[in-house]
Amino acid sequence: MNYMPGTASLIDDIDKKHLVLLRDGRTLIGFLRSIDQFANLVFHQTVERIHVGKKFGDIPRGIFIVRGENVVLLGEIDIDKLCDHILQQVSIEEILEEQRLQQQAKQKTEKAKVTALKDRGLSIPKADNLDEY
Amino acid sequence: MSDSEQQETETAVSQPQWPENGGQWSDEEGGAGMDECGLAEMAEEDEEIDIYNNETFGLDMDTGVGDTEGDPTSPLFQFEEKPPAPPALPSLSPSSPSFSPRARPQLRVQGPPCRRGRGQRGGQAMAQMFEDPAVVRTVEGRPSLQSLDSAIVDVGSVSYWDDLDPDAWMLSSYERTRHGSGSVLQDPAIVCVMDSHAPGRGPNYLDSHYPFSNSSGRRGGLRRSYSNRPFGQRCPSPINTMLPTSPIVSRRPFTTQQHYNQAGGFLSPSPLPCPSTPQPLTPKMMQLRFGANSPRPSPFYSPSSNRVQRFRFPGPVTQLHPQHRRLLSQRQPRSQRKPDSWDPYCNLMSAKEKEWIIRLQMIQLQSENPHLDDYYYQEYYRRMEAKLAEEELGMRGKREPPKLTTPYVTKMESYTPVVHIEGSLGQVAVSTCFSPRRAINAVAAHCPHEELKDIRQQRLDVLKKIEKLFMVLLEVEEGQRMKAQVLGEGEEKGLMEKTEIKVEYIYSQLQHPDLEAGEEFLPCLLVSKGKQLLARLLPFLSHDAALKVLSMVTSHLPVLMSRDSDESLPVLYPSLRIVIGGMTFSQLIGVLKDFTASLPDSSDSSMCLSLVCQSKFGLSLLYALLSQGERLLSSDVPLEPSIGDFETWTDTVFLVASQLSQSALVEPLLLPSNLLTLFCRYLDKRTVHQLKSNMESATGYLALPS
Repeated sequence: MNYMPGTASLIDDIDKKHLVLLRDGRTLIGFLRSIDQFANLVFHQTVERIHVGKKFGDIPRGIFIVRGENVVLLGEIDIDKLCDHILQQVSIEEILEEQRLQQQAKQKTEKAKVTALKDRGLSIPKADNLDEY
Repeated sequence: MSDSEQQETETAVSQPQWPENGGQWSDEEGGAGMDECGLAEMAEEDEEIDIYNNETFGLDMDTGVGDTEGDPTSPLFQFEEKPPAPPALPSLSPSSPSFSPRARPQLRVQGPPCRRGRGQRGGQAMAQMFEDPAVVRTVEGRPSLQSLDSAIVDVGSVSYWDDLDPDAWMLSSYERTRHGSGSVLQDPAIVCVMDSHAPGRGPNYLDSHYPFSNSSGRRGGLRRSYSNRPFGQRCPSPINTMLPTSPIVSRRPFTTQQHYNQAGGFLSPSPLPCPSTPQPLTPKMMQLRFGANSPRPSPFYSPSSNRVQRFRFPGPVTQLHPQHRRLLSQRQPRSQRKPDSWDPYCNLMSAKEKEWIIRLQMIQLQSENPHLDDYYYQEYYRRMEAKLAEEELGMRGKREPPKLTTPYVTKMESYTPVVHIEGSLGQVAVSTCFSPRRAINAVAAHCPHEELKDIRQQRLDVLKKIEKLFMVLLEVEEGQRMKAQVLGEGEEKGLMEKTEIKVEYIYSQLQHPDLEAGEEFLPCLLVSKGKQLLARLLPFLSHDAALKVLSMVTSHLPVLMSRDSDESLPVLYPSLRIVIGGMTFSQLIGVLKDFTASLPDSSDSSMCLSLVCQSKFGLSLLYALLSQGERLLSSDVPLEPSIGDFETWTDTVFLVASQLSQSALVEPLLLPSNLLTLFCRYLDKRTVHQLKSNMESATGYLALPS
């Protein structure tokens, strides 16, 4: 129960299965076991899920401790509702391979873009380098 | 007795939770020692943690736990007299007759949770008092520091370590604080946070108890040090002592695990009603737990850490709006948890820890000025309260849902484009040097002559002035609110003075310097925000100043009414009504004259009254004035009228009555109940009846029958 209605608290989320998206883009799924005032999270039976297209693969990770500031969002997963009708689970190797291919393709297009811009005398700074600014 | 107990013990040791080869580890106790399990101690420990929390946070803690074990302190006190010669390990040994004055069995592992508790060594009588099956074991021990302050971890029998070197303690204590081995909750940083936060408002337990903790602490420290030593060796040098940690730090996993740390008991889920958290409890930790007051994680056994999170008010540490508090208390009985399926790892986070976090977060919410810092929360609950109060009072009446009235605003000025492109809708999109956009007049150029300024400029000026005055008004209102709180005598006076000055300032500033008397407030009043400002300022003004405002309003009523395009005049009504309520008869008459005066400019000498009937505000004001007059007349207060007052009054009443009965009336903001009484006195029945029907048709109310 929420001690302070109208506020958000992670207390009620403890011992429930969650999905957390980290700032570096990783998706972790696990049981939230412990929190603290900084929203540092302790996950149990964690699984890192990689999505490429309609496929996904799970990498078991064990116990994860996530520093609060690296969390983008966090949401509870309904255990009863296992809906993987659209998504197709594949093996870890396969998904890593797919991911690698995806990264490659992205890099190629990015490179092409940068070259095209350079030819026209423009340079767009990459947002991920800027971080907070 | 002991035999039977032993038997009882052994039979009770049915659950293979604790390593059976207990005899291996502890010399003093055979298997019997095992059932000196932490349970009862843990229960008591939890109890003491509760007490600590209670004292710190003022909680109304669950009494459920305490009840089952009775008074924790009395048995403790009783056993204190035990001769320390055989080092009375208050926690464990008492039941074991074979307890030898050997090394504190840090190596000893807690026996399986079992029913026990009778026959403490020498304390059997006492123990038998606790016939409650929930009491696993009653424990002797003296109310060491830990029992008083559960922040102090690993306290054992106090008397036991008295003979040890106090200096060594001091040294070791520092040493101890340095390693943060163990759970993250033991991290000194966190402890610091806890120190700074939790006891911040209360007595600083941790600090104050630190110097006293020697005897209590040593036991724990020694125990710990023993873990690295071979069995049975008693090292007199105190290495470590207690680490004052937060009340919730109840476990101290050690880095080195002894071989007997097997999965047997600790790591398997306890079949106790309360789910256990075996993982953090290594046997090493359990070594520490044989003290009477050793900390232990509450979820392991404690009935308090049940699935249903018992809700407790955070206590005086937090500032909850009373309405909020009520809400929460109402929710309490209703809250239920659906029974979850068994999760062996659940409740890793004890209830205490959860509460700690919540309290921490709530502490951060505290502030000196909640109305400023947390406006929306305060406002929300204030409105909820008001609504509930209203409902309780059973106020009925035509309660329409508040309507959204979009003001009718005419487009004032048309944009004069600098460049007009044929066929375009207005401004150019991008301003270039060949087709510039008209720049917004962000900074008003100061025009020395008032008359030369155009209307727009003047309006902007007025608006700017009003904005500045609004800021001052907000300060005044804030001061008013603060005055409601208890302030010191000097403070209050100072505050009053400051408020006075501010009010004066606003009042003077509202008056336009160049206009003649009687018209000073007009520019401000013509702006809707100015009306709001004045309405909020009126309660602070002196009676004379307020009267002046009122008279000004009434004298310029036609102008105001005609230029009130967005219907913001009614905002003045409540404040003016209060002013009217304090008027004397002569003042009233003076003001009423304005209503009956004819308009200076109109050709057909239509009266202000006719206009008034069409205006909500005007009509309400008129009603209020008449009502006040009636009230004054019918009361016993001496009126001290000036000459001609009564005649004017009577004339006014007649005039008003005739006007009202003829023209269609709009609905006033408030219909005073004594109006008809007034009219009845002066007019004949037919007129009164006509008047009544006219007024009623406008309002839909039934005017109070005379």
